[in-house]
Amino acid sequence: MTGDNPLLEATVERVAPPAAIVVFGASGDLTSRKLMPAVERLALRRLLPAGFSVVGVGRTPMHDEDFRERMRTLVEEGGGGGDEAKHVWDAFRGGFRYVAGDYGDAQTYAHLGRVLHELDRERGTAGNRLYYLATPPATFPVIVGGLGQAGLNRPPHDGAFVRIVIDKPYGHDEASAAALDATVHDSFEESQVYRIDHYLGKETVQNVLALRFANAIFEPVWNRRYVDHVQITVTEALGVGHRGGFYERAGALRDIVQNHVMQVLSLTLMEPPPTFDPNGIRDEKVKALRAVDIFTPEEVATEVVRAQYTRGWAQGAEVPGYRDEEGVDPHSLTETYVAMRLKVDNWRWAGVPVYVRTGKRLPKRVTEVAMQFKEVPHLPFAASQTEGLDPDLLVLRIQPDEGITLRFGAKVPGQAFQVRSVSMDFFYGAAFLEETPEAYERLLLDALVGDPTLFIRTDEVEQAWRICDPVLTAWEQGDVPLARYEAGTWGPSEADRLLEEHGRRWRKP
Amino acid sequence: MPHTSTTTTIGSWEAENVTVAQVEAALSDLRRHEARAAVRTSVLTLVAVVDDQREADAALEVVYDLGGRHPSRTVVLVVGDDPDDGQGIDAAASVHAVERQGTAMCYEDVVLRVRGLARYHLDSVVEPFTIPDLPVVVWIPAHLPAPGDPLLDAANSLVVDSRAVPAAGDVLRRISALTRRLPVNDLSWIRLAPWRSQLAGLFEGSVNRPFLEGVREVEVAGNHGPRHLLAGWVMRRLRLPPEAFTLEPAEHVSIRLIATSEGRTGRFSVGRAGPERVIESCIDIEDGPSVQQTMRIRRQWPGLSLASALTRMSGDDTYRVALDGALELS
Repeated sequence: MTGDNPLLEATVERVAPPAAIVVFGASGDLTSRKLMPAVERLALRRLLPAGFSVVGVGRTPMHDEDFRERMRTLVEEGGGGGDEAKHVWDAFRGGFRYVAGDYGDAQTYAHLGRVLHELDRERGTAGNRLYYLATPPATFPVIVGGLGQAGLNRPPHDGAFVRIVIDKPYGHDEASAAALDATVHDSFEESQVYRIDHYLGKETVQNVLALRFANAIFEPVWNRRYVDHVQITVTEALGVGHRGGFYERAGALRDIVQNHVMQVLSLTLMEPPPTFDPNGIRDEKVKALRAVDIFTPEEVATEVVRAQYTRGWAQGAEVPGYRDEEGVDPHSLTETYVAMRLKVDNWRWAGVPVYVRTGKRLPKRVTEVAMQFKEVPHLPFAASQTEGLDPDLLVLRIQPDEGITLRFGAKVPGQAFQVRSVSMDFFYGAAFLEETPEAYERLLLDALVGDPTLFIRTDEVEQAWRICDPVLTAWEQGDVPLARYEAGTWGPSEADRLLEEHGRRWRKP
Repeated sequence: MPHTSTTTTIGSWEAENVTVAQVEAALSDLRRHEARAAVRTSVLTLVAVVDDQREADAALEVVYDLGGRHPSRTVVLVVGDDPDDGQGIDAAASVHAVERQGTAMCYEDVVLRVRGLARYHLDSVVEPFTIPDLPVVVWIPAHLPAPGDPLLDAANSLVVDSRAVPAAGDVLRRISALTRRLPVNDLSWIRLAPWRSQLAGLFEGSVNRPFLEGVREVEVAGNHGPRHLLAGWVMRRLRLPPEAFTLEPAEHVSIRLIATSEGRTGRFSVGRAGPERVIESCIDIEDGPSVQQTMRIRRQWPGLSLASALTRMSGDDTYRVALDGALELS
């Protein structure tokens, strides 16, 4: 690149540079449900340059124009499209290409190389490529190797970039993640690798950082002196649906805890970063994860609860149990619910339990972090005056109803002196004038402009697996029973006991 | 994409010849009787200054365009100049609820028709209605205040629209004087954002970037104000001489840069050609890529440009640079 572009400035939104995004798994679900709608929205916001191009790679044979039309139709069916989008898709004419082939076949990559060269020449994509692996994890090493052998892992000339986005799951345990890393690093530098967890693209997850580090009033109480315990909840109302086959191999620990929960946990517990640059934040996240105590096999039995949903009523409908779902083994031991009591061994959090729970078929879909504060050292009121008073609580709601709730005590109006807990709610969407970008939209743009802050570094993956691996091992050895919970309830009673034995209880979000 | 929101008016009140205290009491009353109004999420107080009821309605219409992303209180001052109007204040207050994604929030507006001498002391009218500790933004849709206007004492920032102000000749100079007193956001400049981002985007990438250093000619068309601001911005940012610029009046804004790099000529243009709300961007490089992109300018422009102005309480340094350049070109 020759010098800066003086016309680009902070007051104009970041615009992606000319580039081709190459999507492996182009005919798959992720591409049509998430990636292409994100591309459409970026284009509607005028954040993609003229000449921006999309190359689909997949096994299904298709012509370029058919690929564009298919994507356009699927995006429209998913709620996108409309009058405004017509111009976007017209502008993409000539910019959508499709390469059909097997991921293990060198010819596929030779063909891809020719197409990319053509786009550089005809549409000015300037040698910039962003590969996106929207394929099953088993294909990751094959595709990464294919790109490397074809020389497509390096920019064709100085000033151009080649980056690769890899979606979760990143390995199925610590060893497999390390093996995948080794393969990826054979072809790509770590600086080229963007491991995506879409949770980090959510505005409200990023707002955890703003709340903690842009306000003087929260950080002083964000520690063991004031916090009694932390609850991190990531629940879903849906069952496994048609993903039974996938879920049987994954389970809640791999599907949610190892990635989403660990990301939210590290942002909640990390120390203030010295700078807001990619490594400033990620260094602190890794330190927070490293401070999480690793379970011994005995502790897995007492500190972790795994469970599976049974038939029940959820959101007004009778729903099958997990073992009756399509693609699920009738004797399956796969967990659809996990609750854990984590210890964090550092100066800030020593002695503050962090309770995490995730599950399917719970009463509602919610993601939140709740900081329960300690009780006041002395209540100068009679017990009868504070019957409705609970300890102060700060809840960061990540989804839905993104926002913050602060619960505190207030006097009930009237002649008597009664104190009751009240909630003060802040709704994120109600206070700001900007539209919130969708997670994939934000992350795709970040990857195109080369900002890895919200992507996961290799040592983060390693630390998250370090925490989860002993649990998986203990479960595989069959030492820990699988509890059951009725669909539509908040999980098994065993999970309640994790808190009750210390006089605490789960929040009902 | 935008989430749909529904707005309902949950209470209103109006009276003639009232005191400011009476209006305040009425407003509190409206909120107190409505559970949905119990929690306020506030970002600022917006004060719009208009000439008549028609302009007041238009201003409120723009504010409603913001939907759920609304400053929590809007005060519209209707300041006519009819000497037969007598003295006093007539007021109308409304509280509205916006339901959006299952979340309800409330906002309110107060329309004050200010008659007589109070017109010269609008700061004293506005102050009681400002929300504590939050910024006050004064928006004057079709005029420019005098730099000594006492209303500006109550304001943290000012929003104007250089294109809508009559007597176009010295508008930019008068705005420049205002920027020395307080941060000013110009809606005309904000509306140029798509042109600016598209133009900047045309020079991204190693093929196009070198042309930025070889810009020879710049043609800018548009109304007085926008075309000068766009040209002024490019002139200052690319450190070009005024002689490189040709400015022409036109109904819609367009800009074309002709540049050379390594013996090749490149033409880079962004423009809105006609009434359809689309802008076209083109790159045409000799022996190189030739691409065109058409983008629709989104609806709700008045609301969106105001929303953008309200996010920049401290003003926009780039605007000041553009304004400086525009003054040299005008």
